[in-house]
Amino acid sequence: MAGAVSPRALQALIGAGAAAVLVLWWHAALAVSGLGGWLTGAGEICGLLAGYGVVVLVLLMARIRPIERGVGADRLARWHATGSRYVIGLISAHAITIIWGYAVTAQTNPVAETGALLTTYPDVLMATVAWFLLLGVGFVSARAARKRLRYETWYYLHFYTYLAVALAFSHQFAVGAAFIGDLPARFWWSALYVIVAALVVWYRIVVPARDFARHGFRVAGVRTEAPRTVSIYIAGRHLRELDTEPGQFFRWRFLTCDLWWGSHPYSLSAIPSDDLMRITVREVGDHSAALARLAPGTRVVAEGPFGAFIPMRTNRSILLLAGGVGITPLRAMFATLSGKVTLIYRASTWQDVVFQAELDAIAEARGGTVHYVVGSRSEFGTDPLSAAGLRQLAPGLHKMDVYLCGPPGMTGSAVAALAEAGVPRRRIHYESFEL
Amino acid sequence: MRRAILAVTATVAGIVALLSFKTHSPSSERTVAAPQAAPSLPSGERAITGNVADTAYGPVQVQLVVKSTRIVQVNILEQPSATEHDLQIGQFALPRLINETLTSQSARIDAVSGATYTSGGYIKSLQSALDNGV
Repeated sequence: MAGAVSPRALQALIGAGAAAVLVLWWHAALAVSGLGGWLTGAGEICGLLAGYGVVVLVLLMARIRPIERGVGADRLARWHATGSRYVIGLISAHAITIIWGYAVTAQTNPVAETGALLTTYPDVLMATVAWFLLLGVGFVSARAARKRLRYETWYYLHFYTYLAVALAFSHQFAVGAAFIGDLPARFWWSALYVIVAALVVWYRIVVPARDFARHGFRVAGVRTEAPRTVSIYIAGRHLRELDTEPGQFFRWRFLTCDLWWGSHPYSLSAIPSDDLMRITVREVGDHSAALARLAPGTRVVAEGPFGAFIPMRTNRSILLLAGGVGITPLRAMFATLSGKVTLIYRASTWQDVVFQAELDAIAEARGGTVHYVVGSRSEFGTDPLSAAGLRQLAPGLHKMDVYLCGPPGMTGSAVAALAEAGVPRRRIHYESFEL
Repeated sequence: MRRAILAVTATVAGIVALLSFKTHSPSSERTVAAPQAAPSLPSGERAITGNVADTAYGPVQVQLVVKSTRIVQVNILEQPSATEHDLQIGQFALPRLINETLTSQSARIDAVSGATYTSGGYIKSLQSALDNGV
């Protein structure tokens, strides 16, 4: 198993970097005097932190394997979203306090000072364009706007952030008080940017290209599992080398005329053999609908494995709790976990239940238990996955490790019910891609 | 929302703390003797060059043009110019300092607010020029 960076370690690393940035400011800054000095100083600190922050934001999304494995793609995405808001706030504060501070020091008004900054200060105009680009991407990514956008539109708009980072870079050295006349500071700051850029190129381009060439992924076939739910079999070479754990996912790019430009995450519904993988997808958007029409032989770029939703080796009994198509990663786990494993599979109709034969066969072969909980909530009259309901289906629940995968609403209520049933929070494992 | 308020408050508090620890008094100063008479001045006028006064933003050096014992002109030989901002500060501060010098005919002039360092360097270099001989 490849190395993994724990969430704590990553947070500590990011925090240490931020502290180093403050030391850099402290080292370069002169005694602060007057309102202008205070504002300018605050502007410098905000600017330096923002310059560091954008690099961290890019790093979080660089698909660095050990980080993805240890922290989880869902948590990384949430950190990225929260961090983005913070960094855009820092950049805006930086712009405003610098304009104001310079205006106070130069004894002019903020409007005239803005003009002076844009026209006479080197590279500040480019940095301003970068600021507006980031604000634009920020607005587009905001929760409300995102719902009205195609995933691909949202995804590709994010490429403008690379442009913004590049545009904003030069003004840091050209006018940044912390860097002028400090060659080591410029060296280390550049090194930070270069290293992160190299990581992005390596993990987002080189590694997927290498895997594509080495494994030669192709669609082997498509099977309808249930109405609007299909399994896609993907053939390849040396797939064991990918070192996939049950519960993990790949990002899939199907090279057909209308699908090649979008990359989508889907969990494996079975642990790969050396020459075959399987994903199972429920139609929710136009992308997943198009998957049902994939022709065998279609080439595929598979990036992965990703995800920290991996069963830990413990002696405790295990409960797998699936909602709808959330069965996919749990199906892979159910087939590989040893020990006492219980699977609860929640679906609203029997039509939606997939893998029933497979699950029953696995349960029989490995001595596991499967409970199908099928029907709408009104048919049950009560929530079948309440604390009491869960305890009945899985006796000794409070001593188990729980792995949970389902739609966001079900995940939320199930986590609450599990906690109520006495399962400690740290033993409830789930991925949540709600930002 | 509560987390956002917390993050903003913590950031502001941190920045204020950092800045307030940075408000102790400024600048080392180094003086270099470099008085040199400039050539070809109108008769009766002579130039006196002040020492280079280092400030945290860079050196300041003034040159006085003196007619008998009156300062009639102040030239700036050096001023902080590492950044556009330094130049901008010099642009408004130095003319005021020169004006004050011509009025008061001495180095007993007020610093221009917002240009504390440049003013300090200017006054120091001016004083050395006066010491060198009016």
